[in-house]
Amino acid sequence: MTLLLAVVVAVLFGTGATLMLKPDLLRVVVGLVLVSNAAAFTVISSGLTRGEPPIEPLPEGRPVADPLTQAMTLTALVIGFAVTALLLALVLRVYATHRSVDLDALSRIEARTEEELEREELEHEEREREETEV
Amino acid sequence: MSLLVAPLAVLWPTAVIVAFADGRRRPAGVAAISMLAAAFGLLVALAVRVAADGPVDVLAGGWPADVGIRLRADALGTSMAVVSVFVVLVALIQDVVSGTSARLLPALMLFLALGLTGLFLTGDVFSFYVFFELSLISSYALSAVGGERRMTGGALIFAVVNLLGSFIFLIAVAALYRATGTLEMAAVAERAAEIDPNTAILIAVSFFIAFGVKLGLFPFHFWLPAIYGSAPTAVTAVLAGAVANIGAYGLLRFGAGLLPREVELASGVLIGLGSASIIYGAVQAIGRRDSREVLAYSAIGHAGYVIVALGLGGPVALAAAVLFTLVNALQKGLLFLAVDLRGPLVSAAFVIGAFSVAGVPPTAGFFGKAALFEAGVDAGSVAAVALLFVGGALTFIYLFQAYQHDFWRPEADGARTVAPVGARLVVAFVALVVLAVGLWPEPLVSLAGDAAQDLLQRGGA
Repeated sequence: MTLLLAVVVAVLFGTGATLMLKPDLLRVVVGLVLVSNAAAFTVISSGLTRGEPPIEPLPEGRPVADPLTQAMTLTALVIGFAVTALLLALVLRVYATHRSVDLDALSRIEARTEEELEREELEHEEREREETEV
Repeated sequence: MSLLVAPLAVLWPTAVIVAFADGRRRPAGVAAISMLAAAFGLLVALAVRVAADGPVDVLAGGWPADVGIRLRADALGTSMAVVSVFVVLVALIQDVVSGTSARLLPALMLFLALGLTGLFLTGDVFSFYVFFELSLISSYALSAVGGERRMTGGALIFAVVNLLGSFIFLIAVAALYRATGTLEMAAVAERAAEIDPNTAILIAVSFFIAFGVKLGLFPFHFWLPAIYGSAPTAVTAVLAGAVANIGAYGLLRFGAGLLPREVELASGVLIGLGSASIIYGAVQAIGRRDSREVLAYSAIGHAGYVIVALGLGGPVALAAAVLFTLVNALQKGLLFLAVDLRGPLVSAAFVIGAFSVAGVPPTAGFFGKAALFEAGVDAGSVAAVALLFVGGALTFIYLFQAYQHDFWRPEADGARTVAPVGARLVVAFVALVVLAVGLWPEPLVSLAGDAAQDLLQRGGA
């Protein structure tokens, strides 16, 4: 069971990490979701003990399963959910302003705007210099 | 109600209520400021009590020990909380005074202050993670407010990289729980010595990566200039002066406090990475023209000092790390608040901040740097002292360049309008605080000393 969970976590984390290296922002978000689930799985597997269900009245003398990791995993899942929503909102905003979610295209757009800004600045400075000369 | 719970109890409902109000209207902003100021006052009262009587403990909800979640205020946590909430408070005041552009900014600042207070005051590893995420999610959202075109990309990189760090932190927490069977920091510190060395090293490395990303340390720094260069002024000040403290606090708490043997084992690596960070940050900062980028690379360089001090180890170096982190938060907050403003008072404030970062008396930064020098001398390391000296000299060069570029060129001054008087007064006030701490450093120095003592005692137990 431990080995199986370890393999599952490894595959999830590996897939997530690979997706995060893609230029497509949506894939990056999906990759992050996979990594967050890998983390949740790790938390679950940190409490892998066999035992009776931890419900009152507790069975005498027999071991009880660890209830804490379940609670922690739930918390981690909720946080992961909130984070996904936030990231998707950010991606949506990037799409709304640039009409693209591809990082390569975005950096091209950004470079063009930078250039325009610099050109404007240079023109502005030149105009000022001319004015002072006059 | 205990003084320990009070700041959280003040901030939580206010943050929720303000989130529903329109933060651009003055009443919402003023309400947020006054409640944040109240929480700050409570934290100061808590720090005074901790400094006098030692750590304060509360078990949430009156549960028996081992079951309930423990809140614990010690010298390290309260001093970090006081300084971080102070930076958030002045940033919020400056933003409200100069007219908030974003509807959610005051509420997000409150949530950030809440998360920071919680994570500095918790004694439980998992609730640390929860508060950690609360403050970070607020900071991701903060870095995206304002609505400039190029900003969202930087915010996205910031969020993705830091989230990856958070999940690595969560995996490390799970591993720590598996290895020690408890989530309470005090118990973890007791049992940490019995962890199998290989496991312990893996856990320690995961924590180091997670907090290194937050702190913006050299190999994990690449997200930092993008976001520090583009976020709104108040947000950048908060990121540099409050959120970055999480990284330093985490390294001290989880490194020196919970896994001291692994830190000792890795001291060479820590000093090496810290030195690389200091030199890299300083050299990059000298090469930049934009003042915000200069300050961003300066933040990377100053993260290195904390790591070097952590690597040197011992009470003197740990106290220096704490003191330097606190002072650095104040001066970086001041510089980022001042960098975009122009007009009377601002250049004086910027100079005070720059002198403080360079470590010139009588500013607060002098004592941070002096403590680091003392740690280097105490450890008998000529290389560390030389590194501090070179780092300090380079700091002087790039900050003076930035000052000259921004405040001395007449055409730059003429092109920009004078900032509103309220924003300038806030900056002047923070500069006065930096000066005051430099003139009367005794409280901070003694808190830092207590913090180091506390960390060493728990680690040794």
